[in-house]
Amino acid sequence: MLKMQKINKVYQTEMVQTHALRDFSLEVNEGEFIAVTGPSGSGKTTFLNIAGMLETFTDGEYELDGVRVGGLNDNQRADLRNQKIGFIFQGFNLIPDLNLYENVEVPLRYRGIKTAERKRRIERCLEQVGLGSRAKHLPQQLSGGQQQRVAIARALAGEPRFLLADEPTGNLDSLMARQVMELLEQINRDGATIVMVTHDPELARRAPRNIQIVDGQMADFTLYQGAAEHAVAMEA
Amino acid sequence: MFEIKPIFNALCRSKVGAILLLLQIAITTAVVSNASFIIYDHVQYLNKETGFPQDELFRFTVLTFGKDRELSQQFELDEAMLRNIPGVINAVTTNAVPLSGSGSSSSFRLKPSPEESESVNAAYYFADEHALETFGVKLIEGRNFLPEDVRITNTIENAPNVAIVSKAFAEAMFPDEPALGKNFYYFGDKPLKIIGIVDTMLSPWPRSSRPPENTILVPMINPGMYQHIMVRTQAGERAAIMRQMEDVMLDAYNKRVIINIEALDQVKQDYDASDVLMMRMLIVIILVLVSVTALGIFGLTQFNISKRTKQIGTRRALGARKSDIIRYFLVENAMVCLGGLFIGSISAVLLGTQLMQWYSIPALDNSYVAVTALAVFAMTMLAVVVPAKRAANISPSIATRTV
Amino acid sequence: MFAHYIDLGWRSFKRTPLISILMVLAIAVGIGITMTSLSVYHMMAMDPIPHKSDKLHHPQLNTLDDGRNWNTPDDLPYQLTYQDVQNLANAPVPALKTPSFRTGFSVHMNSPDVKPFVESARVVNRDFFDMFELQFIYGGPWSQTEQRDASPVVIISSEVNERLFAGQNSVGKQIYLDDTSYRVSGVIANWDIHTKYYDLNNGAFNDPENLFIPFSLTAVKELASWGNNNGWKRENIDTFQDKLNSEELWLQFWVQLNTAEEKQEYGEFLMAYMQDQKAKGRFNRENLEFGLRNVVEWMEYNEVVSEDNRVLVGISFMFLIVCVANILGLLLAKFLRRAPEVGVRRALGASKRQVFYQHIVEVSMLGLLGGLIGIGIAQLGLWGIRTTYGYYSDLATMDITMYLAAPTIALLASFIAGLYPAWLVCRTTPAIYLKSQ
Repeated sequence: MLKMQKINKVYQTEMVQTHALRDFSLEVNEGEFIAVTGPSGSGKTTFLNIAGMLETFTDGEYELDGVRVGGLNDNQRADLRNQKIGFIFQGFNLIPDLNLYENVEVPLRYRGIKTAERKRRIERCLEQVGLGSRAKHLPQQLSGGQQQRVAIARALAGEPRFLLADEPTGNLDSLMARQVMELLEQINRDGATIVMVTHDPELARRAPRNIQIVDGQMADFTLYQGAAEHAVAMEA
Repeated sequence: MFEIKPIFNALCRSKVGAILLLLQIAITTAVVSNASFIIYDHVQYLNKETGFPQDELFRFTVLTFGKDRELSQQFELDEAMLRNIPGVINAVTTNAVPLSGSGSSSSFRLKPSPEESESVNAAYYFADEHALETFGVKLIEGRNFLPEDVRITNTIENAPNVAIVSKAFAEAMFPDEPALGKNFYYFGDKPLKIIGIVDTMLSPWPRSSRPPENTILVPMINPGMYQHIMVRTQAGERAAIMRQMEDVMLDAYNKRVIINIEALDQVKQDYDASDVLMMRMLIVIILVLVSVTALGIFGLTQFNISKRTKQIGTRRALGARKSDIIRYFLVENAMVCLGGLFIGSISAVLLGTQLMQWYSIPALDNSYVAVTALAVFAMTMLAVVVPAKRAANISPSIATRTV
Repeated sequence: MFAHYIDLGWRSFKRTPLISILMVLAIAVGIGITMTSLSVYHMMAMDPIPHKSDKLHHPQLNTLDDGRNWNTPDDLPYQLTYQDVQNLANAPVPALKTPSFRTGFSVHMNSPDVKPFVESARVVNRDFFDMFELQFIYGGPWSQTEQRDASPVVIISSEVNERLFAGQNSVGKQIYLDDTSYRVSGVIANWDIHTKYYDLNNGAFNDPENLFIPFSLTAVKELASWGNNNGWKRENIDTFQDKLNSEELWLQFWVQLNTAEEKQEYGEFLMAYMQDQKAKGRFNRENLEFGLRNVVEWMEYNEVVSEDNRVLVGISFMFLIVCVANILGLLLAKFLRRAPEVGVRRALGASKRQVFYQHIVEVSMLGLLGGLIGIGIAQLGLWGIRTTYGYYSDLATMDITMYLAAPTIALLASFIAGLYPAWLVCRTTPAIYLKSQ
């Protein structure tokens, strides 16, 4: 599904070069649910942005669903993003001017889907996140948890095979966080591959596979007993 | 103390905004200073002394189609009849109406041809001894025409040999000596002796590039089928007299048509209409231009401030006083504005030079640029004060809240 | 998608109404001012007879002695002498040609029923009507014979026909011009030209004359010119015959030259004519010079568009630039504040082009709206001009070209203003706005 090999990302400023990712390699299989953890500034977000093709990488190989991303131009990346990837952000990033229905509609419009089909999908997705009755509301009329569910609905509307979530529960209280997490698990069971960045170990533990990024490099392990020690050992 | 360096650095980071502001201020300065100078030029012209009591004079034109009367006799009768109307001061037939845009001019020579000679162009009015009083111009030297000076003729052989000239003409013709009593020449070698000099008496073309002050009065009557008559009245009586003019003239003789019964101030107004139009257009443009620029600066500052709300809150939290915040924006604006004014003043002068080359506009007076620059500066500062004050009222607590 | 962008643009307008209205007003005022001066300029400079302006030519002959100057750029007098006009009119070439000047009469019916009134008249040959495409309601031009015999015939405008004959067919009826009775040969329809291009001497925007009579009457009736009479030579002109024989310049002359060859040939003819005249003692000069300008060149040569108007058009466009700069600044601020939203859209699969397109559509809406309001402002401005200066009443209007130009210029202006902000916002890296809001 997703295959990164020896990805490097270097930010060049006038004075210094910053290696956000170093020889980063990862393979994600169809239907996986992966949690990415790591300290602040370790490169989690860079990884996610590169995975979502929001940023380019300096060198390395990245293949998404059989397509080699490295050679694509901006428009091709936008199309690929639109078709294959759903985003869920910490800050929800709903567009304040648009009501829920219209927010969910945004990626579908960019994909050029017909009105009737859009309507069917939007209603289904809003139903799925339990907000079917509030389609005409504006984002600011909702609670944080509800807003994040709309954001998830928006991510799902495009029927992406690959869901990227950046601290999806970061701005939510624990009750809401749990609800959102349950929703994500449900979506994963329905067949979508999910990569979730989080700094919450509690949440990370619920995902079947955990990755830790430290200093732009990664430690991959599946969550068994004593996994934490294993990770530390690897790092050392 | 004014934090000029950090403000400058901040400006450099939002280059485009600053450049736009600069551009606006520059163009505004260039356009407004030139436009206001052109306005000044027009106003000066409109207020120029014509020499005529315009509120007492009116003119009309007589087109005679009847052939059964001798025209010069008929006009003598008409003039006498007009002078008898209560309220009328005097009346005279003339070949041209002052300030009307239509008349005759010629070059007059200092020496008779074929000698090489200086020559001066002047508009001429043919009229008799009643012209001085009717025109209301002031005789400052010499005397008026006597009835025997006046020739009723249409041939050059019998043309008159005396003239009354305007002061400007006398000085142009005889710059170094008293002009009274001297001869000058027309039609090559026909002499005209200056018997009188009048103060200002403008030509029929007050806007002409040929000096409109150069005029002469020649005591000649050459009545035609198309004849102008000027009438001077008591100012208060003029409107009433004008209203009865057509009937009075047709009662005297009806094989003719009376047209263009017009007060002289109206004549001048019609002649000046295009100048007034230009002036009004320029005034509108200046006003709108200045308001658009002011609004633009206002809007941009407003946006800048809302973009920096958090930053301002942080500054306040770190101990900046309200006056510091206001000063920050004022200094920032002043820096952009001065840059704009610098470029604007240079382009104003360049534009002025160009305009002068292409069009008959006098050279731009630099004080106009200076005054405009000052005014634009004051206006932009004013446009910044309001949003800056609002910025100063941003609560420091905003810094601690996440938006 | 286009409709969707319009919807988005409208929402964006509503979100910051004050700034949006400010921008629309800036465009509107800019367009209003520009269109006001441009409309007058357009009407002044407009080709009055587009399908024929390259065929109608006004010859000029330099009759001045060597060393004499005229107030034209090339020292050629605008007008011609009677003798030259007579000779040119009697020449075999070209087929269509006419002298022309303006005079005037008291018009009456020699009865107390109609009060005499004054009308100016144009004195021409019968080709004039064909050359300048005057339309006849009744009758037609006078005959060749009438022209040759200097018969008192007149062609009147529908306005005069209305006044004297209540609009009835008056062909064959008699009217009095001064003390002579003239037979009406034809009635022309309203001649709708706003530039009096066939005689630019005394106000290019005055109305055409209402009477037309044969040029052969000039000498017979001793017709006075109601136009410019310029002399340069010392000549005693006591009688009308003196004037006809003199070097006084007071007549216009028009020829129709249909092809470049015809023009070339006519030029050669004029040269030969001048050489012939020189042999007879006129044209005392080294280099014989003539001018042969078509209608458009003639209007330019006569500076039909006033200086003031050129200055105004220039200043108006500078004003428009200020408005564009203003809008550019405001758009920049507005769009950049929206960068986070654009980041979301980019993340959700919008291409740069789509984002760019969305913003350009929004800007164009502002431009179009501003342009429409601008037309209103321009109308107000033109109304102001008409009230200030009656002479411009036919010029201070917008024709269809100007109605189309207004929104076009508005769109173009807003497009220029929006290009950079839209480009800037579409190339923002989406990632940096997504982390926190």
